[in-house]
Amino acid sequence: MVELNFDSAVKIGTLPNKIFKRLFLNFEITFIYDAMNLIYRLTLLFAGLFLFVLPSFSQQNATISGSIRDDENGETLIGATVEAIGLRKGNVSNEYGFYSFSVPASKDSVTLKFSYLGFIPEFRTILPQGNIKLDISLKEEGSLLNEVTIVANTLEDKVKSTEMSVTTISTKEAKALPALFGETDLLKIIQLKPGVASGTEGTTGIFVRGGANDQNLIVLDEAVVYNPNHLFGFFSTFNPDAVKDLKIWKGGFPSQYGGRLSSVIDVRMKEGNNKDYDVAGGIGLISSRLTVEGPIKKNKSSFIVSGRRTYADIITRQVNKANENKKDYQPIPDYYFYDLNTKVNFQLTQKDRLFLSGYFGRDVFKFSNETFNFLFDWGNTTGTARWNHTFGPKLFSNTTFTYSDYRYRIRNIIQGFSFRLGSNIVDVNIKQDFYYQPNNKHTIRFGGNATSHQFSVGRLKAGSDDGSVSFEAGQDFKGTEFGLFVADDWVLTDRVKVNLGARLSGWNNSTSNYARFEPRLSANYGLTDKWSLKASYSRMNQYVHLLASSGLSLPTDIWYPSTDKVRPEKSDQVALGTSLLIRDKVLITWEAWYKKLYNQVDFIDGAELFGQKNIETQLTFGEGYAYSPLELEIEKKDGRLTGWIGYTLAWAKRGRFPVINRGDYFSPRFDIRNNLSVVALYSLNRHWQFTATWVYNSGVVSWLPSGRLTLQDVPGAPFQSVVPVYGDRNTFRYPAYMRGDLGIVYKYKTKRSEQDITLSVYNVTDRRNPYFLYIDIQTQSTNLGGQTIDLPSAFQAKQVSLFPILPSLTWNFKF
Amino acid sequence: MKNIPVYFGLFMLVLGACNLTKDVAIDLPEYARQPVVECYLEPGKPFRMLLTQSYSFFDPLGLDSSFLEKTLLQGATVNITYNNKTINLPNQLSFESSPLKLFNYTSSQLVPADPGVEYTLNITLSDGKTVTGKTIMLPLVQIDSVPVQFNPTKDTLAQTFMYITDDLGTVDFYRRMLNYGTLDSIAQDFVTSDRFSTTSKVVFGMGYDLTVGDTVFNTIFHITPEYYDYIESVQLAIASSFNPFGQPSVIKSNVTGTAVPLGIFTCLVYDRDTTIIVK
Repeated sequence: MVELNFDSAVKIGTLPNKIFKRLFLNFEITFIYDAMNLIYRLTLLFAGLFLFVLPSFSQQNATISGSIRDDENGETLIGATVEAIGLRKGNVSNEYGFYSFSVPASKDSVTLKFSYLGFIPEFRTILPQGNIKLDISLKEEGSLLNEVTIVANTLEDKVKSTEMSVTTISTKEAKALPALFGETDLLKIIQLKPGVASGTEGTTGIFVRGGANDQNLIVLDEAVVYNPNHLFGFFSTFNPDAVKDLKIWKGGFPSQYGGRLSSVIDVRMKEGNNKDYDVAGGIGLISSRLTVEGPIKKNKSSFIVSGRRTYADIITRQVNKANENKKDYQPIPDYYFYDLNTKVNFQLTQKDRLFLSGYFGRDVFKFSNETFNFLFDWGNTTGTARWNHTFGPKLFSNTTFTYSDYRYRIRNIIQGFSFRLGSNIVDVNIKQDFYYQPNNKHTIRFGGNATSHQFSVGRLKAGSDDGSVSFEAGQDFKGTEFGLFVADDWVLTDRVKVNLGARLSGWNNSTSNYARFEPRLSANYGLTDKWSLKASYSRMNQYVHLLASSGLSLPTDIWYPSTDKVRPEKSDQVALGTSLLIRDKVLITWEAWYKKLYNQVDFIDGAELFGQKNIETQLTFGEGYAYSPLELEIEKKDGRLTGWIGYTLAWAKRGRFPVINRGDYFSPRFDIRNNLSVVALYSLNRHWQFTATWVYNSGVVSWLPSGRLTLQDVPGAPFQSVVPVYGDRNTFRYPAYMRGDLGIVYKYKTKRSEQDITLSVYNVTDRRNPYFLYIDIQTQSTNLGGQTIDLPSAFQAKQVSLFPILPSLTWNFKF
Repeated sequence: MKNIPVYFGLFMLVLGACNLTKDVAIDLPEYARQPVVECYLEPGKPFRMLLTQSYSFFDPLGLDSSFLEKTLLQGATVNITYNNKTINLPNQLSFESSPLKLFNYTSSQLVPADPGVEYTLNITLSDGKTVTGKTIMLPLVQIDSVPVQFNPTKDTLAQTFMYITDDLGTVDFYRRMLNYGTLDSIAQDFVTSDRFSTTSKVVFGMGYDLTVGDTVFNTIFHITPEYYDYIESVQLAIASSFNPFGQPSVIKSNVTGTAVPLGIFTCLVYDRDTTIIVK
């Protein structure tokens, strides 16, 4: 068996070369080909090492492997459990639905139980000899009641796993919860988890354990999504109809992930139903959705196409048309966003499966009149080609090629002149990932990836059509990022498990070369079957940086590479925790953590990013730290009443920036002291479900002026300005934020369809939460020097809220 | 289904009717008053300066006769030195009209129009604290032309373009001002630089806002980098106090000293074109 694996591993070195030569002949061929060669050589080295070290463990065993899928649509089930009854042997399926484990070879039969919460367990009796391949399909429990209980791991698996600081959100769970404008948003559900702060009301900003918004690695089918927002962050780019689930790591990062300091958010698209054709969709207040999926060849291949579009522009166009002849009428600009997700997958052979997926989304803002023809659009494009290959019962391979593109474009055409401004980041990434299970004590992952980045920063071209007047600005950069990783999830004893991992990451461009070693370690000590202690340590490095000019997400925020002056950001995080399962229904998880941040990037005061020849002159570099003695989650995933309570008590600081607050430490905007959320889902019967969320946050920190001056300036006293005088940064804390939402879902089935009507009431108490504070200046006319001018007479602080009570109705259907 | 846009529109109307702004009481950080210098040296005009003081944001500011007393910082000794000459600016109120401007330190001496001359400001406040600043008189950048263009689809409306010639060999900063009718109205006022220019010709435009008979003033100031930074920081500070997307800024003054002052000491070198729209 060992020889078989080794032979298979040797073949890895040649097969992909042929494939890539064919596929990518003219596209970044040098980079990909070289990167692939490097990755394969190094991963072969890892493979050889492990196969050399670990062969003796697998003697006298039978190995059972295969995949676990949803019987209804063929979707792989991630985190499904398989166990050999009575032998205390088993495993869970990985993120590709693959599982493998061994039992002692015997002439006596063994019964295997395959289970996944919300699905009917499946039993198989086998004779444990040799290698046994078992692909299993599980049937969903018939009752509509149980749909909301679908989660990736059983609670007991969570207790026993070395993973900590991780949360999975399924789309089905998210869809049941009340949402702003009825738009289900997976990123906003994450904000309800402990350790995650939202920053600003209604937006999808994710601030994980004191980290910044750009310190989250957000991947959709393994392709990086650089701007996961629509409409300045009020909606995320993830269409819930196209997404299977989302998993977020807040710490204890697996070694296969790198490149961001504070979290990994892994979003998996649905694969498409390979049994029957489905048409599903929904009509909401803001947007409508439509998804078509079905088999290309039954049980072998499938497709899914899913689209979403907003329709506010349809109304505004009608309003503009009705008012077009009115004098002084200012037309309302068009605004809309849309997403398109597609995916196909093919079962090529018993051992090979190919996935191709893509995402294209844009926000479009345009306006034209007799003077201007203005367009501002932005969005992401991603593409993923993924090849799964099973080399044998113990070795599984995943080869991924991804493409990511984020860009914004501003264009204005005036008679005789034009103006074009844009920025973009384009990634081409190749990744090889091996999953090797020599025996039940070791689950080894190893592999590598290489990413070619191209940045175009503030690219401006403007001037007259005849060329006599011309303006140009902008910078282009390139960079290559790589990572090699290995990790062993090692069962030391019945009570002790560790995950030992390491990642070697690096960066190269014309001005800088960096190589960084990133140790990763997590451990689980089982006090009982239902109670464990956990600990983890991870180091992360970040080689690309988001230059965001405000605390809010703007499409014009710029991604910038590491250079000789902009050094890679780095974090070290340690976490301790415990998980306790009570009555097999309620899981209590407590974690305490400390995170140190290095080479943090911020702006100098009054920084000007636009058109800078050297943008680095506008940056300053410092450090930071964050800690929490109490990050608590109580979750219940079974029964009529499910949900969770999350609470975090945390501190976050930044400091040692030479030109900010004299180098003193200060609170970043997302230094939120107390964060409490309660989420409850109650299923009354097959048709009715009631949901509620309640959120309390300490206020965010803000930089408000402390003084004022009156400026006469060149235009003179009639135009005098009251100029705010800003002192130290972030010395003011906003009032606390509190909100309750309610939802009612009515589900019904007809012969040919499943439908539901969801009523969401956002901010049910109609509380006015602070979105923005400003100081209103009231003026009074007075005579000065014989001339009447307006002078400031009184000052009043005003609080602006965004959302009052907002009911919304959504109709979802599936035929 | 067909009525969804209508429902959405009604909903937005209801939303718009909700009162989402309210008065709140907040405590701002403590603030110590600072002297504020506004000293613009304009060739051909007297040496003069406005010296005021800043306030804690919520400090009341009455509109009675004590307004000027509260605002103006009096009793300082003010000297401006250039070419080994020192001009004293006595603590004396003066006004300029259209647009109205107020100065509380005024000399009868006129500012020479000599490019390249360096000026030094020295202020000693009544409490002995000091303020100093330096600036330079830049050469004038002239307006080349201000052509008028009528809207091809609605020929009663017109616009102007202001062309200047920029020296591509140097990094230059400009303040552009556009006034309609009188200098007491402002249509455009912003600062820019030639950092993006690839041609020596630079143009400033406007919308089709004018009709026949209108008067339009196009002005170009050639300004120092310090003045550019100062205006930028002031505009950022003003904008960010009303804009949740704004990035606040401290005021980038070019005056320093033991009084920890704010403000600007600079020369005003500008060219102005007056055009009356005719067909």
